[in-house]
Amino acid sequence: MATRPGSVASRVEASPLRHADLLLLALPFALSGLGLLMIYSSSKTRLAGQGLSKFYYVERQSLAIVIGVAAMLVVLAIDYRRIRDAWVLVYIAVLPLLMGVLVIGSRHKGAQAWFQVGPLQFQPSEITKIVAVVALAGYCHAHRNDLDTGRLAVGIALAGFLMALVFLQHDLGTTLVILVCSFSVLVVAGLRPVHIGVLLLIGVTLVGAAVVTGKVAAYRVDRIVGFLDQGTSNQPVSKQTQAEYSLTQSKVAIVDGGLSGEGLFKGRQTNLSYVPEQHTDFIFTVVGEELGFFGGATLIGLYGLLVWRIWRTARVSSDFFGTLLAVGVLGIFAFQVFENIGMTMGIMPITGIPLPFMSYGGSAIIASFIAVALVANVNMRRFS
Amino acid sequence: MSDTSRVRVSIVGIVVVVLFSTLLARLWFLQSGSENSLKVQAVAESTSVVQTESTRGEILDRNGKVLVKDRASWAVTVDRGLSKATATRVLGQLAEQLGKPIEELTAQYNSQRQSPLKPAVVALDVSQPARLAIMQDPQDYPGVHVMELTVREYPQGELASQLLGYVGQVPSALLGKLEKRGYQPGDDVGLAGAEAAFEKYLRGVPRQETIEVDPTGAQVGAPVKVRPGRPGDNVYLTIDSSVQKAAEDSLRQGIMSARHLQDVTYKNVGFRDLKAPAGAVVVLDADDGSVVADASFPTYPLNWWVGGISTAHYETVQKDNALLNLATQGMYAPGSTFKLVTSLAMTKYGIRGVSDYYTDTGQVPLEGTVFHNAQGESFGPVDLQQALTVSSDAYFYTVGNEFWRVWKGGETQRGLGLQTQARELGFGAATGFELDEASGLVTDPNWVKRFADANYKTQQQKAEHGTWYPYDDIFPAVGQGDLQVTPLQLANAYAAFANGSTLWHPHIEEKVVIGKKVIQSVTPTPIRHVSFDPTTRAVMLAGFQGAVSQAHPQGTAYTAFQGFPLGQVPVAGKTGTAQVVGKGDTSLFVAMFGGTIGQPKYVVAVVVEQAGFGAQTAAPIARRIIASMNGLPTPPVVAINQTPHD
Repeated sequence: MATRPGSVASRVEASPLRHADLLLLALPFALSGLGLLMIYSSSKTRLAGQGLSKFYYVERQSLAIVIGVAAMLVVLAIDYRRIRDAWVLVYIAVLPLLMGVLVIGSRHKGAQAWFQVGPLQFQPSEITKIVAVVALAGYCHAHRNDLDTGRLAVGIALAGFLMALVFLQHDLGTTLVILVCSFSVLVVAGLRPVHIGVLLLIGVTLVGAAVVTGKVAAYRVDRIVGFLDQGTSNQPVSKQTQAEYSLTQSKVAIVDGGLSGEGLFKGRQTNLSYVPEQHTDFIFTVVGEELGFFGGATLIGLYGLLVWRIWRTARVSSDFFGTLLAVGVLGIFAFQVFENIGMTMGIMPITGIPLPFMSYGGSAIIASFIAVALVANVNMRRFS
Repeated sequence: MSDTSRVRVSIVGIVVVVLFSTLLARLWFLQSGSENSLKVQAVAESTSVVQTESTRGEILDRNGKVLVKDRASWAVTVDRGLSKATATRVLGQLAEQLGKPIEELTAQYNSQRQSPLKPAVVALDVSQPARLAIMQDPQDYPGVHVMELTVREYPQGELASQLLGYVGQVPSALLGKLEKRGYQPGDDVGLAGAEAAFEKYLRGVPRQETIEVDPTGAQVGAPVKVRPGRPGDNVYLTIDSSVQKAAEDSLRQGIMSARHLQDVTYKNVGFRDLKAPAGAVVVLDADDGSVVADASFPTYPLNWWVGGISTAHYETVQKDNALLNLATQGMYAPGSTFKLVTSLAMTKYGIRGVSDYYTDTGQVPLEGTVFHNAQGESFGPVDLQQALTVSSDAYFYTVGNEFWRVWKGGETQRGLGLQTQARELGFGAATGFELDEASGLVTDPNWVKRFADANYKTQQQKAEHGTWYPYDDIFPAVGQGDLQVTPLQLANAYAAFANGSTLWHPHIEEKVVIGKKVIQSVTPTPIRHVSFDPTTRAVMLAGFQGAVSQAHPQGTAYTAFQGFPLGQVPVAGKTGTAQVVGKGDTSLFVAMFGGTIGQPKYVVAVVVEQAGFGAQTAAPIARRIIASMNGLPTPPVVAINQTPHD
């Protein structure tokens, strides 16, 4: 790390908040605010039909946002370098949570992955993404001068163990997110092309073996086939698999939107509750249908801004950990946005990955705020 | 940061830019209009036309008393196409929730009488707590819906079941035909009786809504297009429900009572009671042919059909033949009640005069066969009036034989006078009644020949069975042989005799009403005018009066009308006892009363199968109905054990 000139010493003494990236900190509020609108629009008809309050999901999501902001403030207050040095503790702390849900977790839609905390559900896999990034960044930072193949293999093992625990909860989506963000961290940390080739081979072999031996649940194969097959699939609704049906309805909603959209709260597919899981994984279809291409492009643009600020933090970080942390968080957000929006438009297979800050889901919201807080933390302490 | 790291972070940045650009490109591709084919698909998938049946019209009696009406009922339905395990589980949970036996719900779900194309109605009149419980936990009740249906209600209870008929879901066999008239699978349609006959008035016009539906098929939001419906019209029948009730009660009482009487035709072989399995009553207004009562036994409660009849109930109804309206669909040999026709033909065609005496010795040899009176009684010299009062068979056997001789002698037209007279009074042809009816049968030489040609192979057989034999006239002269009449035809013929001039089309429709506005009022139409020789008619009427008169102990219905205030309510009548091959005798009685003595207003025809002599069962039933219609005391009917003759 380069030593700063004496002339900036006075800035070092000042509060790091002075250097905070306000755009980076503002984007989560903009995104989650839009998310609330979209959740309301997608769920109001269904909730009313069930005799529940139209604001049921909005209220719970708002509570999660409040908790998320509180968590963000707490994270900002702690110098990230203390977190960096405690990466082993962070890694170890998440393990009982992950093992705990495997034992006592309740079963839900193929993923067995949460603790009931009062009225809320706490899903450890969401926070695990961040733990993976923090731990890998911390590990690579600690060994930043002797990252040979053996040390990289240990890093891969650290990430792999977390991925295995999450995969055992049948949460393929989060497993993939951890895979991508860990990979991003390791690439920047010094993974060489030959390592990448070997890892790819191992990965392909494992996936192939799982499919062949039937260890992969049928609905997952459906999702992949539904994704690959969409051009030729003209079956009647009754013959479609859940995945084909979801994809068709999702695309129809987005196509319906056209350039300018059908108007907020006026989406026909949305109001008819045609898109399954619309307030969670398929929240982008509400944007697409009601706000059209302009709205959808704006949303993608907002994510672009967010990713750009994170990427910039990776460039300006005062230490290697900060860079790796930012790259890891960038991997999380960029992959989730691409996979989630991509699946609603039929260019990615359907997996249960939430759209950051937008999808209904408390744990994901809180984890996202924490992730941004960590990056902002690195950013605002870049001069200290 | 090392240079390698810097380069690698840049590469990550480039990858992200590529990914986000891909998203934007794909979004543009979807939303700029190139994938419009998906839009069409979306509309087709999400709208559907729902037809809601309008409130069905009411059926009322001639005094405006409601016989059938619609009422709302909260129903629980279960979708078709559930897996067997799911259906069993769901029905089990519903049974627990509704407090009904699971067998009942399962029977309803599997009933053949419900359309396989619509959700099955498994329970009606579901309480509000049960409805809420089901709606609050939809995941526990897959395929279960709660909906408000209208169902038929019968305020008069088990009254006029066969006459009123029932509604049911469009049977698959009729679906093709009815779909052209705007019916959908699962729609209700009148399937029998007045419900079927007056379907076009009662149904009204269904409401059609084009709605948007969610993926489960449930409606979302308001309909996008509406064609309003119109409730069905109310139909007033000529039935008088108090007379109908008296007829049904009397018929049932008479039948129950007869079942405790010995069947005397059987006594040579052993002892057994009368079976009296079934019967019918028709009460006609002779002045216009309107049916005042139309009772059929055995019967059943119409509300068995509400919500789809259960298999057990359907089997009961089928076993009893309770769906048949025997008053119009039952065919019987009329026995001596047919002497009305023989008497008229005899005088009209110059076979025997009204005052010519015939000496009844209890038996008569004709064309090589000896014909006996019932129970072998002999009445000595009788003229027409006496022959009708005592019901001398020998008198009419010889009339029948004389007709045959005339026919055989080449006077074909006069020789077939009996058959011509029968047809003129409406026998052997449908009356044009609104409900299902049988046409009956009056044979003649042509019919016999055609029947033989169609049913026998060899020329010898055809010739033998195609011949018009003496008994083809002798038996019908006393209402036996191949003659078949419906109780309605019998009543209608007597009605023409009673009014002295007109054979009316019997009918039950009085008027059709929307709200208070009468849109159609039925004017009685004659089948034909019938001319009666006044002298003959007066003599016959006196003969019929004699049959019930307390001044003539030999009158066939003397015992049945003992104690009846004939001075106050004059009654003329004719008993009939028809022998049926392999069964007990049919008990018949036709009475005329009301109006004036010379022109009675009402005709009551009673027919009870396997119930002994006409005077035993049918006459006491008719007596109670007449008493009821005249405000006289109506003790329960008791069938009569001791009768001198038919």
